[in-house]
Amino acid sequence: MSGPIRRSASVRRLVAIGVTLIVLLSPFLWLLQMSFKSNDLILQFPPPLIFTPTLENYTSLWQGAFPASFVNSLMSASFSTALALILGVPAAYALSRWAGRGKHALSFAILITRMAPPIAFTIPFFLFYRWIGLLDTVTGLVLVYTSFNLPLVIWMMQPFFETVPQSLEEAALVDGASTRVVFLEIVLPMVTPGIAATAILCFLYAWNDFFFALILTRTNARTAPVAVVNFMNYEGWEWGKIAAGGSLVMAPVLIFSLAVRRYLVSGLTAGAVKG
Amino acid sequence: MSGKGLVDAERRRFNRWALAPSLIVLFMIAGLPAIYLVVTSLTPFQLVNPGSSTDFSSPLRNYRLLPDDPRFVNSLWVQAKLSFWGVLFQVLLGMLLALLLHTQSRVVEFARTFFLIPMVLPPIVVAIIWKLIYTPDISPLYYAAGLLNIALPSLTSSVDFALTAIIIADTWEWLPFTFLMVLAALQTIPDEFSEAALVDGANRLQIFFYITLPFITPILVISGMFRLIDSVKAFPLVFLLTGGGPGSVTEVTNYYAYLLAFDFNEIGYSSSVTIVMLLLVVAVSLGVVWMGRRREAMA
Repeated sequence: MSGPIRRSASVRRLVAIGVTLIVLLSPFLWLLQMSFKSNDLILQFPPPLIFTPTLENYTSLWQGAFPASFVNSLMSASFSTALALILGVPAAYALSRWAGRGKHALSFAILITRMAPPIAFTIPFFLFYRWIGLLDTVTGLVLVYTSFNLPLVIWMMQPFFETVPQSLEEAALVDGASTRVVFLEIVLPMVTPGIAATAILCFLYAWNDFFFALILTRTNARTAPVAVVNFMNYEGWEWGKIAAGGSLVMAPVLIFSLAVRRYLVSGLTAGAVKG
Repeated sequence: MSGKGLVDAERRRFNRWALAPSLIVLFMIAGLPAIYLVVTSLTPFQLVNPGSSTDFSSPLRNYRLLPDDPRFVNSLWVQAKLSFWGVLFQVLLGMLLALLLHTQSRVVEFARTFFLIPMVLPPIVVAIIWKLIYTPDISPLYYAAGLLNIALPSLTSSVDFALTAIIIADTWEWLPFTFLMVLAALQTIPDEFSEAALVDGANRLQIFFYITLPFITPILVISGMFRLIDSVKAFPLVFLLTGGGPGSVTEVTNYYAYLLAFDFNEIGYSSSVTIVMLLLVVAVSLGVVWMGRRREAMA
C-alpha cells in the first residue's frame, strides 16, 4: 500500500477488536450457553464452562404453552407488517413525488406518531379494547403494531423511491400509462430490495415488543416475550426455560438482522425517533 | 403544454388515493388515541369508579397535582439521570468503538456485524440477560468477583447501585447504535485531509482533535439526541431488573405512569403524567429534526 495512511488493520488493532467483541458479547453468549445446561448445571458453582449440552430446556418448552405464544408473536408481527406495507408503500411513493407545500409538515406529523412513548398509546388502546372486546386478541396487537410500523414504512421507503429516475416514469406517463400502472409495473419492481428491508425491520419492531403485549394480552394472545417473562414466577425462576425461551425469541431477530444490516441505520434512525 | 397538465392532474389524483388510506388509518390508530389521552387527562378517571371518566368538573386538577407529587418529580430526576449518563457513555464508547473499527479490512468489516447484536436483540431478552448477570447465585459476574475476593453487593437492590446497574445495561444495549452512526460519519471523511496533516508532521492525537472530531461532531450530537429521545424506552430493563426500586430510585416517569394506570387504576392522573412526558419528548424531537435540517442545509 502506498501513501502514509495504513489501509489494512494492524495485528494490535485486530487483537483489540477481538477482545472488545468478546467482552461485549459475553453477556449474550452466557444466556445462550445456559440454555443448553440442565438445571443442576446452571446452579452449580463455580459455573462449568465445558459441559455436555442438553436440549432438555427446549423440549420442555415445546410441551408447554410456549409454542402457542410463539405463533401469536409470528402472526401479530407478520400481519402488522403486511398491513403497514400495503398502506404505507403507496403513501411513501406519493410523498416522494409530491412537490407541493406541506410535505415536510405532513412527514413530520406522521413521524410524531412514532416518537410518542408507548405508554401514551397503551392507555387509550387498553380502554378502547376493553370496551369493544379486543383485549387479549391478536387483532388488537396487529392494530397497535401497525400504528408504529406505518410511519416507519412511510419514512424508510421515500429514499428508495427517490432513487428511481423520474424521466422513466414521465416517459411512460406521456405514452399514456396511468400513474397507477407506472407505480405498480415500473416503480415498484425497482424498489423491491427496499420493501424487503423495510418489511424485515417492521417485523422486528413488532416481534421485539414487550410493553404493548404485556398490557394488552393475558393468555389467548400472549406473545413469546411475555411468555418468557412468565417463567419468572413466585415458585422460583426456571432459568433453564428462561434461557431457552429467550434464545428462541432472539433467533429470528439475529437471522433477519444479518439479512438487512445494510439498511439497519436508516431503519433504526427512523425508529429512534420513537419513545 | 396540455399533456403535461393532464399528467400533473393525474398524478395529483393518484397521490390523493395513495396517501388517503395511510392518513385515515394513522389518524384512527394514533390521532384518536392521542386526543382521547388528552381528554382522559382532564378527568379523575379510575376504572373502579363509574362516571369518573366523564367528570370534567375540575379539568386541570391532575395537572395541578403534578408539581406537588414527590414520586412524579422524583421520576423526572431519575429519568434525567438515566438519560444523561446513558447518552454520555453511549456516545463516548460508541465513538471509541467506531474509531477502533474504522479500518479497511475484510475481517474487520465482517466483524462489525457482530458488534450490532445487543441493539437488535429484543429488549426483553436484553433485560433477561442482565437479570442473569445481576442475580448473585447464578451470575458469572459474582463468580468472577468471588475469585478476586471482592464482595459485590446485590447491585439491583442497592440504593446506591440500582440506577447504575440499569445505566450499564442500557449502555450495553444501545452502544451499537451510536457506534453505527459514528462509523458512517467516519467513512465520509476524505483521506486527503489526514494524509496532508501527516505529511505536515501532525501526530495521531492532533489529527483526531483537528480533523476527525470536527467532522464527526454533528453526528455525535444527533445520535446523542436520538438516544436521548429513546431513553424513555428503558421500560423492560426497569420492569425486570428493579421494578422501580429499591424505594423509587429507579422509577422513571414511563414506569410511574405504567404503575399509576395499570397497578393503581389512576387512569386519569396517569394520562396527565404521560402527556407531560410526551411534551418533553416532542420538544427534544423537534430539536433533532431542526438540527437535521440545518445540517442538510449546510451540506
